[in-house]
Amino acid sequence: MTTKTIKLRQAKTSAVTSRSLVSMLTKVALWGFLVIMAVLILFPIVIAFLGSFKSNAELTAGSTFLPKVWHPSNYADVWKLANFSRYTWNSVFVSVFATAGTLLIASISAYAVDRMDFLGKKFYVGLQASTMFISIGAVVLRPQFELMVGLNLQTSLWAVIIILVSGHASTYFILVSFMRGIPRELDEAAMIDGCSRLWIYSRIVLPLLAPGLGVAGLFAFRHAWNEYILPLVFTMSQPNLQVLTVGLASLRYGISAASQTHYMMGGAVLSMLPMLVAYVVANKSFMQMTAGSIKG
Amino acid sequence: MRNLKQKLPGFWFSLPSLVLTLIFSVYPIGWAMRYMFYDYKGYGTERFVGLDNFVRLLSDEAYWNSVVNTFVYAGGKLAITLPLSLILAVILNRGIRGKGFLRGVYFLPTIISASVMSVVFFTVFNSYNGVLNQLLVRYGIVERNVDWLGVDKAMLTVILIAAWGAIGNYMLLLIAGLQSIPDDIYESASLDGANAWQKFIYVTIPMLGPVLQMVIMLAIINSLKGYESIMVLTEGGPIGKTEVMFMYVYKLFFPISTSSNSMEQQLGYGSAVGFVTAIIVGVVTLFYFRLSKRLNQVH
Repeated sequence: MTTKTIKLRQAKTSAVTSRSLVSMLTKVALWGFLVIMAVLILFPIVIAFLGSFKSNAELTAGSTFLPKVWHPSNYADVWKLANFSRYTWNSVFVSVFATAGTLLIASISAYAVDRMDFLGKKFYVGLQASTMFISIGAVVLRPQFELMVGLNLQTSLWAVIIILVSGHASTYFILVSFMRGIPRELDEAAMIDGCSRLWIYSRIVLPLLAPGLGVAGLFAFRHAWNEYILPLVFTMSQPNLQVLTVGLASLRYGISAASQTHYMMGGAVLSMLPMLVAYVVANKSFMQMTAGSIKG
Repeated sequence: MRNLKQKLPGFWFSLPSLVLTLIFSVYPIGWAMRYMFYDYKGYGTERFVGLDNFVRLLSDEAYWNSVVNTFVYAGGKLAITLPLSLILAVILNRGIRGKGFLRGVYFLPTIISASVMSVVFFTVFNSYNGVLNQLLVRYGIVERNVDWLGVDKAMLTVILIAAWGAIGNYMLLLIAGLQSIPDDIYESASLDGANAWQKFIYVTIPMLGPVLQMVIMLAIINSLKGYESIMVLTEGGPIGKTEVMFMYVYKLFFPISTSSNSMEQQLGYGSAVGFVTAIIVGVVTLFYFRLSKRLNQVH
């Protein structure tokens, strides 16, 4: 073996090791980035969870990461003393009825648009699309409030539910896309048998639409459960009607906010818990819908 | 006649949806467009004042301050959110171990209420005994507590929190876009000797173009519109440093009694401010639309 080939071989191996070194470094940097991002994302949620088991004094002194003594009793206090049983019930009430109403109204109109020709169909579809794109945020809140004053519902949670149901355009579009996947032969056959449209909708279309209803319902429920400003407007002066988001935020501005940090933590965990559970069970649906929205 | 009879059932089926939309989405716009020409406090008499509200708006420093703040807020949020979500999307689009789990983690903030998280973030960023200050002081990164919600830092804090909530959402949209890029383009780029960085610049970015534009558009609109978490966290304070446009409108419609610089309820003026704000958002969106179209032509 000549010295030349040995040198060549050495050069080769060192090139290989330096390349694998680079690829290792990229790998480390990559994973470092992923881990740091994950820690940053989870940090406040973990802080809330751990904080909800600390005593208020410990939270105020703030010298610990894990609770020195675990206080599960915080949750009993939050539930009873801080009125969160009431808030939870109101949240469930609003979210369940808003979701059911949204699904009912959006599915029946999605059925009409996908399967029938009717008066003013073009206008209707255009209207639904434009409500999705016009963004006027806070501007409509006051007129909506005035409308509810007119209906004498301004101090009722039904006002919140009705307004949430009225914003069903995105649910409608989700359901139309699912409706397209249901074969038309089924309801055409039922038509020939003389079944009414309403019968076909409730007995044939709705059951077949179940997966779509599930996904759209998940979204409608999340929206209703997490909504803050709308219920705030209608329940500002009525603590007994407040939902979790509103009740929790009111602790932030309460007179004794400083002495209630453990309530704030416990309340925050209670407020996010149902969504977290739903997410663990159905996170594929959550993510698919978001990703699907881009493909139109 | 028979034709009409056939066309009726569909009309009845869509009627509840149509009526609700007309009453709660269309009528409110008309309401605001009427009252923007009126002096109306929500009680007492209403008086037609023509364009007075708009004249007043021109010299309303607090409002224009909130407009500037909105653009700082939106710009800051975009500057943090877009690069991070793009990097995450590119990494997690590859066959990396545990990518499903990591996607789940990054997407988690989008399912939690912004207002609830803002309460938690208040205890994190609180200057007196917040978790962040305790950590920073203990590890000697800063000497004294940083006033995260004070005059200097409040906007930064609000932007960071908004980015926290948004990264996962845009990451997922971008992953969906990345998956629509065919593999053979990458393969032929590899055959031409392109390295990972070159592939990213010359293949991924151009191919991702339309999706990226849509994501940026969504991000712009969302950040111009959002005020929920700011409302819980700072109520626009201190001294208007985090006031954004739609929150200003909200305060004119529903004065916040606890806030230090509380405003008087003014529905007429509020409608005018809301109208102008909606126009501003619309113009920005349109401008971006035109710009991205022109960029498409250049490429």
